[in-house]
Order: sequence, then structure tokens, then C-alpha cells
Amino acid sequence: MERADTRLIKRSIWQYLDVPIIAVAFLIILPLLGINRTTDFIIFCIFVLGFNILYGFMGRLSFGHMLYLGTGAYTMTIFSEHISQNPLLAILASIVAGALIGVILGPIIVRTTGACFALINLAFCQVGFFLVLVAFSRQTGGEDGMSANFSKLSFLNFGNKAVVFGFVLFCLLLTYYFLKKFTSSPFGVLIKSIKENETRVKFLGYNTFTYKWVTFIISTTISAFSGALSILNYGYVTPSFIDPTRAVEVIFAALIGGSGSLYGSIIGGVVYMTISNYLASYIPRWEMFLGFALLVVVFRLRTGVWGFIVGMFNKRQKVLEG
Amino acid sequence: MSANSIIETKKATIQFNGLTAVDNVDFRMQAGEAVGIIGPNGAGKTTFFNLLTGLYLPTEGNILFAGRDITRVPPYKRVTLGIIRTFQLVSVFDSLPVIDNLALSTIRFGENYGSKWKFFFTDVHGEKIMKNCLDQLDVMGISDKADLMTSELSYGDKRKLEIAVALSLNPKILLLDEPFAGLSDQEITEVSVIINKVKATLSLVIIEHKISRIVDIVKRLCVMHEGRLIADGPPEQVLSDATVREVYWGKEEGLTCSV
Repeated sequence: MERADTRLIKRSIWQYLDVPIIAVAFLIILPLLGINRTTDFIIFCIFVLGFNILYGFMGRLSFGHMLYLGTGAYTMTIFSEHISQNPLLAILASIVAGALIGVILGPIIVRTTGACFALINLAFCQVGFFLVLVAFSRQTGGEDGMSANFSKLSFLNFGNKAVVFGFVLFCLLLTYYFLKKFTSSPFGVLIKSIKENETRVKFLGYNTFTYKWVTFIISTTISAFSGALSILNYGYVTPSFIDPTRAVEVIFAALIGGSGSLYGSIIGGVVYMTISNYLASYIPRWEMFLGFALLVVVFRLRTGVWGFIVGMFNKRQKVLEG
Repeated sequence: MSANSIIETKKATIQFNGLTAVDNVDFRMQAGEAVGIIGPNGAGKTTFFNLLTGLYLPTEGNILFAGRDITRVPPYKRVTLGIIRTFQLVSVFDSLPVIDNLALSTIRFGENYGSKWKFFFTDVHGEKIMKNCLDQLDVMGISDKADLMTSELSYGDKRKLEIAVALSLNPKILLLDEPFAGLSDQEITEVSVIINKVKATLSLVIIEHKISRIVDIVKRLCVMHEGRLIADGPPEQVLSDATVREVYWGKEEGLTCSV
């Protein structure tokens, strides 16, 4: 009987080309959308990646991910105001803040599943929103928000939009590569297994709590990272960065692209941003069409756009083979 | 107490809202023994397994593993001690490829790695992990299906996969919950050949409904009825026991009366 070694260990060349493909894809849409929007798209894609590691891979849907994005955004701004205007240091501080909020809230949040998990995130997000808007309005600028100023670095001048674009694209590729490593490791198998049957994973000898916590921290850290990058791009922060009602955006993007896939997250991010940016300029109540798009996804494309493409490809392959 | 008893329960009792599912069970087995647990539906066999593996905490009583009290040890730690189980309804990860089901168990909590970080960054489809996984699948004779999705497997193959996962965890004591349920006659023969092969290296407990399937595997039979252990001994002796016959086939004189 033939062992499956060769089939399993043989890799298709596509698996090594994914990072260049993503880079080229964004360079292609750059002249179509203009540099500001493309940068915006890329940052949103990083956020979707951070969200999807929790939702798509581990099966925990969060309604409060804006909190983690907002943590990054506000840390970035406040750090530049009070501590240092070095943008790289400020980004680093935001990443640390994102990880820290994951470490602190994680033990409470990851104990829950399903609706409880979604709502407890939302609850914490509401608390964060209140703190920013009312309780600490003197420090955060309240409803008006505040602007962030960064010093010019000799080797990276973030005053130049092209530099910001290049840097943000680099960050996306880095995040993607990091998550790809993660999800194709035994740890990746573990979190996918938790999604399917957590009790069974315990009976394989793993303390699922720890791994859920780690995944949660990864998710909050990446979300905070994307929050920090948006401040780098916009130069100011408002409470909309932590507004609980905006959590829907990232959920839609993950669903449209296909949860449980990194490519899907990026495609979902781009599709969502295209709808929300362009449809909005033609149709005032564009959200209705977002609803229709979601209906199509729910009824026709259960695995999202990316899952649909993979499915088509596999079907063709099978037809060709026999 | 006993130096070489592998697992022992002392007056283990569990109640759910007043219903006593396992009632005062004193059970003890030596290392290397093979024990079968039989009993009618709802006798508490699976609940007894859940007590041994830590899914439920006993309301009263203690559970000892190799002389050490493990009553409050969580399930995942019991697995690392060597208490491995399978489930009544076959429990594998349908959404993963067959081979990935084995990845987590063959790397054995990362102890096969030099450092903890490798758990997060090594490629799970790398040669080293895959070789171990395929070797395990070979034991069960399903390595040719390694790259299928688990959902595409037949029920019998899923059962074999589940046993492969259990074996790859290096069990000291293996608890099989109705391993033959839902299998074809041929698959039952295949699986019992494998169980007979591995039982020399470990202690074995099998829950089974049909006595005929396990009499040639186990040397000792326990009968559970309404949460209690009502008989314990060699199969011939247990099967000729009056109370056991009553539980399984009803009162004989009762039958004659009604005729």
C-alpha cells in the first residue's frame, strides 16, 4: 500500500508565493484607488486578520473588537503627546498595550463561548468607549478627539504618504507571515480543534484555557497594531476608533472573505472597504446593500469569497483528474 | 495500599439532581490487566468512565491512579499521566485532514520538541511530525487515507483513527467506550485483532454491550446495574451468576409463572 508521505510533504509552489502575491495585488490596486485609500484598505486588512484568528480559526465571535483597535489608536496618540514623538516607539507602545489588555481581560473572556463570548467583549468595549468619551475626556479629547504629531525620522519620513503606504504594506505582510507560521504549526491545529470540539482537545492532554488565552492575546495585539497604524495614517484619533457599533464592520469583512483563512481575511477586508468607500459616494443608504451582500454570503457562499474560489479550483482539479 | 494497582476507586459516587448514576463503586485493577465492563443501558458505565477520566467530579469517594489520589486532577493532566480514553460516539475532528488529527497527540504535549516555541512555529506538515503520524496510522491500517478530510471517512475508519490517536498518546491505561458499536463484522474483527495486539503493553478497560465481542479480549468481567457494581470476576463465573442473569435476561421463574 502506498504511503501518503510524498503526497503530503510535496508542496505546491503557491504556498511560497503568497507574500509576493499579496504585495503585488496591493501595488496593482494602488493606482486604481489612490494612495490614501489603499493605505486605509491595508490597515483594515490587518485588523480583519487579527479578528479572524479568533473567529475563523478558534470559533470565538467577538462583538467588541473595536476596544482592542481603540486601545492601539489611543495609546499611539497619548504616547506621542506625553512621552515621545518617535512613531516607531509609539507603535511599539501600542503593541504592548494591545498585548497587555489581552493578558488582563483574557482570563475572564476566554472562559466563555458562543453568545456569552460575543457579549462580554461588547460589554468591555462599552466600558472602554465610556472611559474614553466621558471619564478621561480631558486626556483623550472626549468627543472631539485629538491629533497626533510625530517627529520625522531620518530613514522613515512618515510625512510622505508613499512612505506610509510602503511601511503599512510591510506591516501587513509581516502580520500575514507571522499568522501563517502560527496557523500551520501544531498550535494552529490545536486552535482549529478547539473550534470543533474543545472537550476532545482536553482529552488529548492540552490545557485549552492557556491556548485560548494565547490566541486571544495574539488577536488583541494585532488589532491594537492596526489601530496604531491608522493613527499613523490619519494623524488624529476620535472616539469612533473605539465605538462598539463599528464592530460590525470587521465581522462583515471576515464573513465576506471567508472565515478560517488568511487569504480570505485580506479579500474580505478589501471587498468590505470597496463597498463602504465607493457605494457610499453613490448611494446614501449604502448599508442596505451590505445587508444584501451578507444575505448572498449566508445563502450562497457559506465559505466566503475565498472559500468559493478554492472550491471552484478543487472541483476543476477533480474534473481534470478523472 | 496496593503497590501495583494501576487504578482504583473508593466508594465512588456521583449524583445528578438526586439521580445516583454511579453508586458506591469500589473498583480496582492491576497494571497489565484487561477488564470488560458490561451492563444494560443506563447502568452508569460511561459515567463511571467520566469519573475515571475527570470529565465529572465524584460527589463522594476517591479515585487513585498508581497509588496517587487524582480525584481533583483535571482531565488534561490525567492524560499526561497516561489515562487515555475513547468516546462512545466516535470523536475525531471532522473539519481537519485525517493526518492532522494525529498531530496533536503524536507530538505529545510538546515533549518531543526541544523548546516550547517550536510548538508555535514548526510546520505541522514537516517531515518529522508527519512520519510519526503515518506510523500510527499504519498500525491501524489506514495510512493510505492520510490526506483525506476526516469527514470523508467511514464510521469504522473514524473509529480506527480515534484508536490510533489514543494509542499515540502512550496510554498506561486505555479506556475504550463501546469501541465496536456501529462497526461491520469485518471491522470488528480488525479492531479486536489490534486491541489484542496492544493489550500486552498497557492496562485496558472496555465497555461493551454485547458480551460475545469481548470475552476473548478480557480475562475479567465487571457487571454494572443501576450504578452499582453487581458482579466481578472471570467471564464464565460472572455469566453464570444468578443476579447477572436476572439483570440481563429477566427472572427465570417470573417467566415460567406468566406462561
